[in-house]
Amino acid sequence: MSTPVVIFDTIEKAYGQIVALRGVSFDVNSGEIFGLLGPNGAGKSTLIRILMDIIRADKGRVMVFGEPRSRVHLDRLGYLPEERGLYTKLAVVDVMTYFGALKGLSRAEARRRSLAWLEKVELPHVATWKVDRLSKGMSQKVQIASILLSDPDVCVLDEPTTGLDPVNVQMVQDLLLERRRNGRTTILSTHHMSQVEELCDRVALINQGQLMVYGEVDEVRRRYSLPEVRVHARGPLPHVPAVARTTDEGEGSWRILLSDGTPPHEVLAALVASGACVDRFEPLLAPMEDIFVRVVKEGRA
Amino acid sequence: MSAWQKIKTVATFEFLSAVKRPGYLIATFGMPLFMAAYGAVVAVPAYIADKGSRAAASVYGVVDEPGVLRLSGDLNVGKQSPISEEMRRALEAAGQGQALERALDNFVFRPYTSRDEAHAALAARHLKGYFVIPQNYLRDGRLDVYTPDSFNVSGSDSRNALSDLLRRRLVEQRLDPALSARVVKPIERTRRFAVTRNGEVRDGGSTASILRFAVPLVFMVLFLISVLMTSGYLMQGTATEKENKVVDVLLASANPDQILAGKLLGLGGAGLLQISVWLTMLMVTGVGVVPLLMSARVDVPWLALALAAPFFVIAFLFFGGLMLGTGSLGTNMREAQQLAMVWSLTAAAPLMMMAVLIREPNGLVAKVMTWVPFTAGPVVILRASNDASQLAWWEIAGSLLVLVGATWLGLRLGARLFRIGLLSAGARPTLREIVRQARLTS
Repeated sequence: MSTPVVIFDTIEKAYGQIVALRGVSFDVNSGEIFGLLGPNGAGKSTLIRILMDIIRADKGRVMVFGEPRSRVHLDRLGYLPEERGLYTKLAVVDVMTYFGALKGLSRAEARRRSLAWLEKVELPHVATWKVDRLSKGMSQKVQIASILLSDPDVCVLDEPTTGLDPVNVQMVQDLLLERRRNGRTTILSTHHMSQVEELCDRVALINQGQLMVYGEVDEVRRRYSLPEVRVHARGPLPHVPAVARTTDEGEGSWRILLSDGTPPHEVLAALVASGACVDRFEPLLAPMEDIFVRVVKEGRA
Repeated sequence: MSAWQKIKTVATFEFLSAVKRPGYLIATFGMPLFMAAYGAVVAVPAYIADKGSRAAASVYGVVDEPGVLRLSGDLNVGKQSPISEEMRRALEAAGQGQALERALDNFVFRPYTSRDEAHAALAARHLKGYFVIPQNYLRDGRLDVYTPDSFNVSGSDSRNALSDLLRRRLVEQRLDPALSARVVKPIERTRRFAVTRNGEVRDGGSTASILRFAVPLVFMVLFLISVLMTSGYLMQGTATEKENKVVDVLLASANPDQILAGKLLGLGGAGLLQISVWLTMLMVTGVGVVPLLMSARVDVPWLALALAAPFFVIAFLFFGGLMLGTGSLGTNMREAQQLAMVWSLTAAAPLMMMAVLIREPNGLVAKVMTWVPFTAGPVVILRASNDASQLAWWEIAGSLLVLVGATWLGLRLGARLFRIGLLSAGARPTLREIVRQARLTS
C-alpha cells in the first residue's frame, strides 16, 4: 500500500477579500503521478506555493514525508512554476548548475548532471549558449531539466508541456513515467486532460478554492460515467433485454446505454447467447475533459 | 543542505555572475584608466602652459621715486612660496623636490627711472607689471601697481616679494643684523605640539595629523561609494530575477533570508573587490605618498584603522539589507532606486555633518551619533582617529553591539520586504498590503 508523501489538511488561504482556498484536504502518495486539476484561478498555484513554503496558509497544515512541512524539506522538493524563466544573460549550463546546487548538490555534481540532462533532453550543444539564444521549446526543456536534475523525491510541475511540439511532449511524458518507475512522486498541474488520462494515477480537481473531485483516475471516470458500453460486432446486433438505448456508430460499432443497475457482463452474455458475433466489448468511461467541464460548470451554476 | 551552504551557493553565483559582466569589468579596470586619461587631458595643457610661464623669472618693473630700494640693476629676490617648512621637507623626501621647485615663483625687480619708461615696457609686454613707489611712500605707505589688462593671478605673490624687499631695505644698516632679520621675518619657523586631555604631548604639526583626518574621511567616502554601488548591483539583480521569472524557483529552494544574505555577500563582495582594485591602482601609482608620510612623522591612528574593517562590513550589511529589501518593492529599476534613496541619504549623513563632527569630535552630537546604527560606523572611526583616549571601550563595544543588533533586525526586515517585493507582480504594493503581507509571512 502506498504511503502519503504529501498531506494537505484543511488548507485555507485568502488574499484580502478574495478566498483562494477553502479547507482543501487530500493526500499525494509516494511514487505516483498525481494530477492537480482546476480552471484558471481555482487555487492550484496557491496550493502549490503553500506546499513549497513560498506563501503561508491562513489555516490548516501541510505534512511532507510524514512531518510538518518546513524549510528542511525543500531540497527534496522540486518545483517548475507556470510563470517561469531562466537567467537570460548566462550560459545554459551555469544556470542549470546553480539550480542544482541550490538543491544541495555540489557544484561539480550539479554541473555533471546538468550536462547529462542536456544529453537526455537532446540539447547537448546548447550547454555553453547564453539562455537568450534558446528557442521557446529549448528553453522549456532546459527548465524542466533544471528542476529534475536534482532528482527530487516530490516534484511539482505546473503545465510542463505548454508550448512544446508533440515529439517533445512525448519526451516529457516519458521523463515523468521514468520518475514513476524510479519511485519518485510527481504532482502534475495541467489543463491537458488527455495527459491526465494517460499519465496520472490519481487526481484532485479544485474549483473556486474547494476540492470537488478526488481519487483514482479510473474510479473518478467511472463515477462520472453513464452506464454505457461500446460493442464491435460482425453483422446486425440483436435486441437484448436491460438495454435502454442502442446507437449505431457505423462500421460495426454500437454504443449501448444500459438500464439502471444492469451489470455490463450480463449484457455481454445476453448478446452472445442471442448469436451476436462480438469482436470487442468495453465499458465506456467518461473522458476527463467532460468531467472537468461538467464539474466547473456545476460550480458556476 | 545547511543554511550557510545555501547562502554560499547564492553568494558564489551572484559574485561570479557580477564579475563576469562586461559592464563590471569595464567599470573596474576602465574607470581608473578613464580617470587617468581625464586627468591627463586636463593637466597636460595646464602643465605645459605653466612650465612655459615659469621657465623664465617673472620680471616686474619698479619706479622708486624716494630711492628706498636702492636698486642699481635687476634684482632677483629668489623663490617665494607660502608652503610650510615641514610640508616642504616632506615633499622633498617624497622625491617631489623638482615639482616643488617648479611650483615656486622667481621674481626679478627691474628699476626704471620714470613712470613713462616702465609704462612703455609693460605696454610692450616686457614686464609682468610694475610698481611705483611714490615720493611720499614713507609717510602714507601707498604703492601704485600697474598690470596688463589680462587676467592675472600672481599679483599678490609679487606684492609679497616686494614687501619683503622693502622691509629688508628699510631696516638694514639701521638695526643690528639679528634684529633686522626678525623685523623682516618675525617667525622663521614654528614647532607645533598637541596636548591630549591626559596631558600627553604629541607632535602637533599639520602634516603629522593628516591621517587623523584622512582615515575617517576615506572611510566615509569609500563606505558611501560601496553602499551606493553595491545597492545598484543588488537592485539590478532583483529586477532581473523578477523580469526573468526565476523568483519562484529560487524561493522554492532557499528562504528569503538566505537569498538576501547570499546576494549581499556575493554582490557586496563584487562591489568591494571593485573598490579594492581602484584603491590598489591608486596606491601603486601614488606610492610616493609613503615616504611623505614617514618623513612627516605621521601620527597613525591605529585604533581607527583596526576598527575600520569590522565597522565597515557590519554597517555595509546593515544598509545593504535595508536597501535591497526596500528596493525590491519597486516594479522596475528606477522605482527601486527611488525607494532605496532614503537609505542612501542616511548613509551620507555623517559626511554631510563632517564639519560639525570635526569641530567637536567628542561633543554631544558625535556622542549621540555613536549610538545610532545609521551613523555609528563613520562616527566611531572619526572619534577613534581624532583622539582614541576620548573614546571609551564601552562606547566602542556598545556601538558595535547596537550596530550588530540593528543589522540583524535590518536583515530580517529587509528579507521580509524582499519576499513581499519578489512575490508582488505588476503594481507596487501599497503600504497596507506590505503590512498585511509582513504579518502573514511572520
